[in-house]
Amino acid sequence: MSELHDTTYEPGLLAEGTFDPGEKPAGIKRIPRGVEHLATEHLVVNVGPQHPSTHGVLRLLLELDGETVVNAEVVVGYLHRGIEKLGEHRRYHQLGTLMDRGDYMSGIHAELAAAMAVEQMMETEVPAKAQWLRVLMSEINRIASHMVWFGTFGLDCGAMGQFLYAMRDREALVDVLEAVTGQRMMFNYVRPGGVLADLTPEADSAIRTFLRTIDGYLDEHDALLGGNEILQIRVKGIGTLDRETAVAFGLTGANLRGSGLGYDVRRDRPYAAYPELEFDVPVGTTGDAWDRYTVRMGEMRQAVRMIRQCIDGMPEGDVMAKVPKVLRPPAGESYACVESSRGELGVHLVSDGSDMPYRFRYRPPSLYSLQALEEILPGRMFADAMMLIGSIDIVLGEIDR
Amino acid sequence: MLPDATAIDKALAAIGSAEVATTTLGLEVRVEAGEILAALEALKGGQHDFPMMVDLFGIDTGEAVDIVYHLRSLSRDEDIYVRCALPYKGELNSVWNLYPAALLPERETAELFGLTLAGHPNPKRLLTIEGIEPLLLKSVPIRTVEEVRDR
Repeated sequence: MSELHDTTYEPGLLAEGTFDPGEKPAGIKRIPRGVEHLATEHLVVNVGPQHPSTHGVLRLLLELDGETVVNAEVVVGYLHRGIEKLGEHRRYHQLGTLMDRGDYMSGIHAELAAAMAVEQMMETEVPAKAQWLRVLMSEINRIASHMVWFGTFGLDCGAMGQFLYAMRDREALVDVLEAVTGQRMMFNYVRPGGVLADLTPEADSAIRTFLRTIDGYLDEHDALLGGNEILQIRVKGIGTLDRETAVAFGLTGANLRGSGLGYDVRRDRPYAAYPELEFDVPVGTTGDAWDRYTVRMGEMRQAVRMIRQCIDGMPEGDVMAKVPKVLRPPAGESYACVESSRGELGVHLVSDGSDMPYRFRYRPPSLYSLQALEEILPGRMFADAMMLIGSIDIVLGEIDR
Repeated sequence: MLPDATAIDKALAAIGSAEVATTTLGLEVRVEAGEILAALEALKGGQHDFPMMVDLFGIDTGEAVDIVYHLRSLSRDEDIYVRCALPYKGELNSVWNLYPAALLPERETAELFGLTLAGHPNPKRLLTIEGIEPLLLKSVPIRTVEEVRDR
């Protein structure tokens, strides 16, 4: 139009028919032919293990065709400490310490599974108050763990604000856990026969203070991240796991319930004080990443509901049953499972009658979720891969053990 | 929680070595290693309907490595344990065609018990690097003689 355009426009190398590659110059392997004829070879991209989006030390090998993932392989083992082997050289009381270091985000659940497996073999009667405290601390731990998932899931999608708010709420819960157990992560609170200690008055008032604000905060979180149109467009419809696939890969917890199957260990195989509590099990419909998001948000609300019931209905009594100093369960086997923040966390114990387990098996829910990742990644864009890792909520500590 | 033992017995009638027993753990089925695929196939589909593998792991019994397949029926909420004994350094037949959930646990079990994996699409080590001994065998100590001496 203007003189400027007329004078500056020149047909470039890419214009059809104007470029003759001629002889290949020395040292250049590939003759430039323009974008139409660019070779699109598959690239294998290594992600992790030191990548903030991999939630720990997960390593992924992604075969990419352009920006699309065509094949994925997970590589784990960077956090292997041999917890199962070490458990065979510890007394039954000491298993909780090892379990904490497995799933470090939800230590109470892991300890509870180990304690329940020992109690099953010893046929120990746990006092009612200890059962209620176990549920209370489990649910507090569940919200604290889901808050980390909520914050980092947003980070994976490119949002930052909700992470700061989630950490603020997690802090309040971790302070409660610290006031009761003495630790922020490695609690060692649930022991065979009961729990370590009763609620202190400070912890009780801290929980009540937290309960006054959490409902509003949860709505705020949901509106901030889940109400965001950009996030919904990115998350809806990706990483779909239908019921058959979810069951075939052994998924449990929110990943299974997101696919529409309402299996919850707390409801279907009740333990501790769960039979006396009222709660719903949120389920999804299609099993995509958005369903898993809504199920986890719903779980947090149910956890708040259960914490209220625990605070109101806490019975009086001892927190620890009379158990021997050295536990020697009779020879036999037991399996105990709990609903941890990530799914069914099981402990399988084989006893030979001595003071140490003959075999100690830790069933990590994240290991089974991780297999589904190899299934849902192919066909998605590379940028979606990070969100899918976040959506299945894995903890590498329990995968590698 | 406990499946009907007689129905399971009937379903596994074609598998000669199957022995059904009720233990402290629940209902257990012990089969020969060669017939594990047939046994799992009989249990998975049809009216028995155990579509989910909860866990797969090994136990070093001192004479052999016991492989435990922990299956679950979600519709009836029942668990069943299928076991087979493999000799040391034996061959673990992959069941991933029936239960894709076995993909990673099988790799883990094979490396930690010193077994070889057969029929697995990706039979690599999972948790440890080459040269590490099969850690979960009772014959492998958690510390070597040198480490104990220099402690």
